[in-house]
Amino acid sequence: MFWALITKELQSLFRDTHGLAALFLMPMIFIIIMSLALKNIYDPPLDSLSYAVVRLDDGKLATELIDSWVEDHGDPVALPKHWRDEVMKGQLDYVIVIEKRFSEEIVAEKMGAEPCVRFFAKPQFETSIYNLNKVNLALILNQLRSTALVKTSRAKEFVPPNAPKPANTDVELAADGLLESERLSATARPTSVQQNVPAWLMFGMFFVAGSIANLFIQERDSGTLSRLTSLGVPAWCILWSKAVAYVMVNALQAASMLAIGVWLMPRIGGDSLSLAGIDWPAFVLVLGSISSAAVGLGLMVASLSQTHAQAAGVGPTLNILMGGVGGVMVPTFVMPEVMQKIAAYSPMNWGLNGMHAVMLNGQGLSGVMPFAGKLFAFGLGTIAVAMLFVKRR
Amino acid sequence: MLQISDLAYRYPGSKQPSLDGVSLSVYRGQLVGLLGPNGAGKTTLISHLSGLLPLQKGTITVDDLPLAKARRADPTRIAIAPQEYAFYPVLTVDENLSCFASASGLSGRYKSKRVETSIAATQLASHRGVRAQHLSGGLKRRLNLAIALLPEPDFLLLDEPTVGVDPQSRAFLLSTIQQLAAAGMGVIYTSHYMEEIEALAQEVTIIDHGKVLIQGRLDALLNTDAAKTRVTLALANPPENAATILAAYGDVAVTGDGFDVLLRPEVLPTTLFSALSEAGISISHAQFGRQNLENLFMALTHRTLRD
Repeated sequence: MFWALITKELQSLFRDTHGLAALFLMPMIFIIIMSLALKNIYDPPLDSLSYAVVRLDDGKLATELIDSWVEDHGDPVALPKHWRDEVMKGQLDYVIVIEKRFSEEIVAEKMGAEPCVRFFAKPQFETSIYNLNKVNLALILNQLRSTALVKTSRAKEFVPPNAPKPANTDVELAADGLLESERLSATARPTSVQQNVPAWLMFGMFFVAGSIANLFIQERDSGTLSRLTSLGVPAWCILWSKAVAYVMVNALQAASMLAIGVWLMPRIGGDSLSLAGIDWPAFVLVLGSISSAAVGLGLMVASLSQTHAQAAGVGPTLNILMGGVGGVMVPTFVMPEVMQKIAAYSPMNWGLNGMHAVMLNGQGLSGVMPFAGKLFAFGLGTIAVAMLFVKRR
Repeated sequence: MLQISDLAYRYPGSKQPSLDGVSLSVYRGQLVGLLGPNGAGKTTLISHLSGLLPLQKGTITVDDLPLAKARRADPTRIAIAPQEYAFYPVLTVDENLSCFASASGLSGRYKSKRVETSIAATQLASHRGVRAQHLSGGLKRRLNLAIALLPEPDFLLLDEPTVGVDPQSRAFLLSTIQQLAAAGMGVIYTSHYMEEIEALAQEVTIIDHGKVLIQGRLDALLNTDAAKTRVTLALANPPENAATILAAYGDVAVTGDGFDVLLRPEVLPTTLFSALSEAGISISHAQFGRQNLENLFMALTHRTLRD
């Protein structure tokens, strides 16, 4: 009985070509377009990012560098013992390392080839913010070098009368060469695709909610649900058969979107998605939990909606809202504080964090469990609400 | 036997009860016609029999077993063929039947056998690979019926089973339903088409505003006062004692521009017309007809079935 209902659900779904196209094409288009063309200009509150400084140079110029940075970026946090791990896991946004020879190199007429300031960012650091920080740091370095060189040059003007004049030398003013930046990642090198796919994959999976709601209302309006009930099919069987079918659809969606990232994107000029080094059980757990939340949301919307129009309006709108609030479209840290608090309750935010944890921060089962747990709880809760309303009606 | 006794139901928030003391019984092999205008309470009654509404007052028993208990033991003893096309339009006839057979708890050989039997009974064999959405109205009605027949129910509830079908399909459906009753199935049949009820049903129940207005054997009902022949007359030169003359042939009511005569059973309209002619009274307009189920229905409910 149960499998017959699952089969029926899949048959119904795959013959609704428009619905199917929306389920698969929309998220695919999102991934391609957003990965290639997303170059948003942010005006972010940079001082809200958490960072630490590894100071290996005690010189005055290192102090000046830190002071300049603190002016615009706020105070650093205490340096954690395993700061690299924390950055990799996304628990710390970035770390600036000032190497021991910094004060010498920054004023040297001929700078060394080795960088002496390093900027290490978390893997999911948004590209625009990452570049902005790099530019800021380079500007400070250039300023420090210019000022230092001018001082040195003035000192040279007071050469004793009998001493030989120093030879004229070409001095490079720009100190960009002293700066090195990197996103730390436990998995592959973070790229635009690597950063975008988790977000849009998760967002796309939530699109099943609208499809479930529409088919459910169609079934209810045609009297088919009443017929199934009159035949003795219990409400749990009706709802869970839908849930299982749509979890299968979500699995197919995930596979197709990952395939696009891995194989299609490099062929059309984008970066490729790498799944090397990720924890597969954790990945499957996160995908499963996202799917349960999406399916539960769809069933709840369906059970609460009276008409097709309601379901068609509420489902997608909820998706967009949750995506917006959850950090899919705008990073949560650029949001006002109130919104950031709201974001913490958005299932899409849990999903996004879970995907980042496994695809960028190299987290395993224990690392993704907090996000997956919340998503599963949301999924079960919404299915319970749906069950309640289906029984009541 | 399916027995409904003193059934009453009021939807939450509603002032009027949807059912108010309805009693009805159906034996195996019996075909009962259930009539009522829209809003009479038929759907509420059907919902009770489908197990979709809880009992508030009254009882429903199947072979002396309370409905809830009977449904727990075998939910498919009473099958419903609803007015809507309650199947999956994108699935084929075969896929729909297979799905609903499994939903009815059938499996294996018995399931295949019941699918074949239902297809044969509704003559859908040549359409089994066609998606339901591409079937004609008549074929969709047949599929609706075929699904109801799958679990081999003891009682079958047909809600407007011939709406929107062509005359051939209607004739086929009516003949199939008669055969099902003849084979021992108890059938409750609701329809807006009185001639169908007259052709099929042995027993008729008319309900309105949630109450049973009349019920009994069809032939007995058609012999009630409400079923007598009615003659409406307009006279060219009515004498003062016209009503007295007419009263010799039946019950007379004076209307705005004439008389309404409900003839006694032994009086034919021609007898009345001859008598008036012999009395020198000219008839300027006359209208008459034998009472049928529709007249009876309208006389009782003061509404047409489609109101």
